[in-house]
Amino acid sequence: MTVSSRWPSVATSSQLKEKMQRAKVLCVGAGGIGCELLKTLVLSGFEDIEVIDMDTIETSNLNRQFLFRKHHVGQSKAQVAAEAVRVFRPNAQISVYQGNVKESRFDKAFFQRFAIVLNGLDNVEARRHVNRLCLSAGTPLIESGTEGYLGQVTVHYRLKNGAGEIQDATECFECAPKQSRTKTYPVCTIRNTPEKPIHCIVWAKELLFARLFGRPDVATDLDEAAAGEEGAEANGDTGDHISASAFVRGPDETADTYAKRIFCRVFEEDINRVLSMEDLWETREKPKPLHLADTLGDGQPALQNGSVGGEHGAAAGESACKALGISGAHRVWSLAECAKVFLESIKQYLEGRPTEVGEAVFDKEDDLAVEFVTAAANLRAANYGIPQQSLFITKGMAGNIIHAIATTNAIVGGLIVVEAMKILAGKPECSKATFILKHVTNPKAKRLLNAISPGEPNPNCAACGTARLELLIDTAKTSLEDLLSKVVKKKLSLVEPTLRTDEGFEYEEGEGLDDDEVAGNKAKLPIMLDQQSGGGLKHGTVLHVEDQVQEFKVQIEFSHKEDWDEEQDPEFFKLGGSVPQATSKSADEAGPSSAAGPSTAPADEDDDDDIVIMDGPSAADGVGTDDDVMIVDEVKPPTMLAAADIAPDANGSAGKRGADADLEGPRKRRKAS
Amino acid sequence: MASTPKAPAKKYDRQLRIWGAHGQQALETARACVLGSGCTATEALKNLVLGGIAGFTVVDNVIVQPSDLGANFLLESASLGKSRAAAVTELLAELNEGVASSYIEEAPSNVIDSNPALFSEFQLVLATQMREQDLIRLDEVCRKYNVPLLIARSYGLVGYLRASLPEHTVIESKPDNALEDLRLHNPWPQLQELADSIDLDAIDDVTHRHIPYALILLKGAQKWCSEHSSKLPQNAKEKAAFKQMLKSWQRSAEGFPADEENFDEALSNAHKLFSPPSIPSEVRSVLEDDATSVGPHSTDFWILAAALKRFIDGEGQGSLPLEGSIPDMTSTTDMYLQLQRTYWRKAEADAAAVEGHVQALLTSIGRDVQSIPHSTILHFMKNARNLRVVRYCTLEEEVAPERAKRGVIRQALAAEDQSVNASLYILLRAVDRFQATCGRFPGALTGELEEDTAVLKARMASVAADCGASAAQVPDDYVEEMVRCGAAELHVMGAIMGGIAAQEIIKFVTHQFVPVPGVLIYNAMASTSSVFVP
Repeated sequence: MTVSSRWPSVATSSQLKEKMQRAKVLCVGAGGIGCELLKTLVLSGFEDIEVIDMDTIETSNLNRQFLFRKHHVGQSKAQVAAEAVRVFRPNAQISVYQGNVKESRFDKAFFQRFAIVLNGLDNVEARRHVNRLCLSAGTPLIESGTEGYLGQVTVHYRLKNGAGEIQDATECFECAPKQSRTKTYPVCTIRNTPEKPIHCIVWAKELLFARLFGRPDVATDLDEAAAGEEGAEANGDTGDHISASAFVRGPDETADTYAKRIFCRVFEEDINRVLSMEDLWETREKPKPLHLADTLGDGQPALQNGSVGGEHGAAAGESACKALGISGAHRVWSLAECAKVFLESIKQYLEGRPTEVGEAVFDKEDDLAVEFVTAAANLRAANYGIPQQSLFITKGMAGNIIHAIATTNAIVGGLIVVEAMKILAGKPECSKATFILKHVTNPKAKRLLNAISPGEPNPNCAACGTARLELLIDTAKTSLEDLLSKVVKKKLSLVEPTLRTDEGFEYEEGEGLDDDEVAGNKAKLPIMLDQQSGGGLKHGTVLHVEDQVQEFKVQIEFSHKEDWDEEQDPEFFKLGGSVPQATSKSADEAGPSSAAGPSTAPADEDDDDDIVIMDGPSAADGVGTDDDVMIVDEVKPPTMLAAADIAPDANGSAGKRGADADLEGPRKRRKAS
Repeated sequence: MASTPKAPAKKYDRQLRIWGAHGQQALETARACVLGSGCTATEALKNLVLGGIAGFTVVDNVIVQPSDLGANFLLESASLGKSRAAAVTELLAELNEGVASSYIEEAPSNVIDSNPALFSEFQLVLATQMREQDLIRLDEVCRKYNVPLLIARSYGLVGYLRASLPEHTVIESKPDNALEDLRLHNPWPQLQELADSIDLDAIDDVTHRHIPYALILLKGAQKWCSEHSSKLPQNAKEKAAFKQMLKSWQRSAEGFPADEENFDEALSNAHKLFSPPSIPSEVRSVLEDDATSVGPHSTDFWILAAALKRFIDGEGQGSLPLEGSIPDMTSTTDMYLQLQRTYWRKAEADAAAVEGHVQALLTSIGRDVQSIPHSTILHFMKNARNLRVVRYCTLEEEVAPERAKRGVIRQALAAEDQSVNASLYILLRAVDRFQATCGRFPGALTGELEEDTAVLKARMASVAADCGASAAQVPDDYVEEMVRCGAAELHVMGAIMGGIAAQEIIKFVTHQFVPVPGVLIYNAMASTSSVFVP
């Protein structure tokens, strides 16, 4: 290898410059990282860029998303970012999609159009989705994330040779088990026995806010509190207590009366009812009900005539604190203040935002919503003797807010472009996963940026499993029997295969089936592939093939092909990708060194263990059993190390491993009530 | 506008969560002087302006060239032919209203001589894309006016960053793993009394289940010590026996151990008894520092450190003052509050003792005893475990052969994982020597690559010799790369180095987190970085 073909040497070459100009790249996300990335891309010479982002601009973006100004608040991020970039690089082609990357229009064919996909996302679900589409499309993916001073950039690709065999591959985004940051709480803890401030905040946001202002058809667990489980004996005559109708405003009920009634209901009556479940309090301290008049203090029925909006000049529905003249986001409000804010915020919703009631979704940027949750959580905390929190802290916990500053995003944006350049230069083997550290921590290996070579694919990865194959076959003229005998059993050497698709097709062989099942499976054998249940096995279908005895698992993606040349392809099908050895326990032979080409696994320059592990909220906050947990929205984790839990997605394409791995996490079982 | 007071809080919400209102306050009162107006300078400034710095002044005398438009997002074709300092200042100011901005049209290297007092007006000076010989003079001036200097440079695919100031003290270093100091191994009398007041055998089951684990461990320690000649468990075997003893204390129901979460916590937190946190080595070096011999010119930090030292030698009996907060424990509210109060009171007593030392020290050096506020003392004490001091030698000392020969670079050249980045350090210094003799950087003219490479190698040899090393260790392809890039300031490097520079500036301004303690080399060719402490 001559010096001139090495990565650093081609970095400034005119060939690379040309490639950068021509390469079509996709930026997923136009937020903190996205703004930096777009700017650095165009200034580095990229000229064909497409951007997807569904969000609109918020005030809290302005400390770092420098393409946006105050007057842009409320507008589409993707749109405004593209316009801003066009100003300083008019010759750059920037196409914009305002939408969710998970929409069906962004399909495999869409992703195949790009030379590289660059992620600047803020949630794991979208990251996983993009990962799978990139795998399917064969498009290299550069992943990124930041949290405060911490950040990282990782590279994921599967390069194929002319024969469609994988020649060089890194781990995919889902290969490595990642510490889950999804916070789950036992429902019982939230409803009846909170122990920590977060439990009260979750209750206020997920149950009470949703019940009072959210869509009525989206049931929350607030009312089942007494109905289920051990509440039964406590219910007795409480038929109407527990119906959702208790939260419906009466036709002649004033906002003031309603707000007070809700206060009494949730902080006094509900507590009294919970107190009657005596077995709960054998091992716990009993909660104390709050009486409204006592809580408001000094005997004054405050706000008796409190007009919404108030005398402090705030618009109705804008802010309860402003209307009440309560200030201080960093101090803990007194209980009386909490009660006042609670009542006032309900009134503001009812009178200031009548159209929103019944539709509202908690938004951490919405002052009124945050005030309501802060007040309600603190009042509940008072019920249970739990420390109260300031609005600032509550907002952070309720909104799962991730620290963010411009500097880290700027560095990450730059690092993404460096990695993109390596891939375009045809030097993927030089790719690095780079981690930005807060400060120089390891005194021996002094560095602020730590780079390691990308990991190898995990053969058991549910998403990429190196054993994902492409099957070219005539799906209209091949029966399931033929598929099984010629492809699955002969070519892949499975003995007792189980087949299924996400769309509902299933076929099973082996012991332990009853006669009916055997007959049902047998009946499917003569049917042509595209006529099978679940929409058939046809072009684009992914079939999950498993042999439990061999502990072997593979995915087969179907491509329909009608015209076969018998001379060339006597089997009438073609199996692409690296065919794994079915005799071994796993398919780990299908690593980067397949038949084609030399092994290109790069030497690891960094043999150090100085890898950053994001300090996320403790996962031991309470993981319950499957049906007894309350899942609060995922902390939007920009960081993949901490980010992706690997539970199966709604689309079910994560396999067994996903589910298993999810159970491996640290768990601390709170006593379920 | 009605919403003005709230708007900044909202805008800065995400960063307030990193450095707090006091950190933001420090940033909003800091003014930075930035030498140079290339993309490294403007990228750093962009980040600082977005974050809400009080103001900045850009110093540069170049005119906007077509090549600038490609590297700097702030510049548009309308800026061509104008002063670059003026153009970028105008556009940077648009990023955040309320940030005071100005520019000086003069070459950075001239300002050092013509108007050195200028630097005294700033809280920080950022020098970008400057040569070693100018930086040495700048360093001298900044130290004279006691202004921290940060140097950032993007040279082809190599980045360089270094701070220069006599010392930087940090109270809030915010280490990743904060240690809890529960004093279980060495309880003060009131804590021991609280533990003694509980008779585990006499209380009812509910109370038994709610004794906080700290008290269980204290009782365990007492029992164990009474049976083991006053020594806590020393080895794995004894530790296991200790835990076994705690388990035997658990209540049972129908022959099975009862489910007592507090005992589970005691077992899993037993390490807090076995290996209590010692004084971190960084804090030890602060306490042993000569600067703790305070005089009239000592800063508040060192007076507080000296008081802390007196405390440890005296009342503290070798321990840092108690921080006072306790972690969550399974407990009744009453018992938890009682325990919390016991820790708070001890922390308050310790704080009062330190405050006494502070006042005595202030008196001894002729300062008003109230001149360090109580809140500052408390803040210092809360962070006693996190104190850090970083010192930087002057640039002149760094390049002086007698110091360079100490061998940091020589050793790095020989170390496999640092060799390349040490080579880049030498090469960056060599290109400045090249420039000093040739009046231009190597490769800046096309067609003379080979000649330039030869000259650069000669300069490199002299730098390496100064460092007590041999230039033979510098790989040829990196020399060639250095020539090929022709001193280009690439945007992608400007983004990365500007980002790091702004991050370091915020650390200096807020006195939170620990800045890079030496020379940072970022190598985008290999995606590696190294820090050398000369």
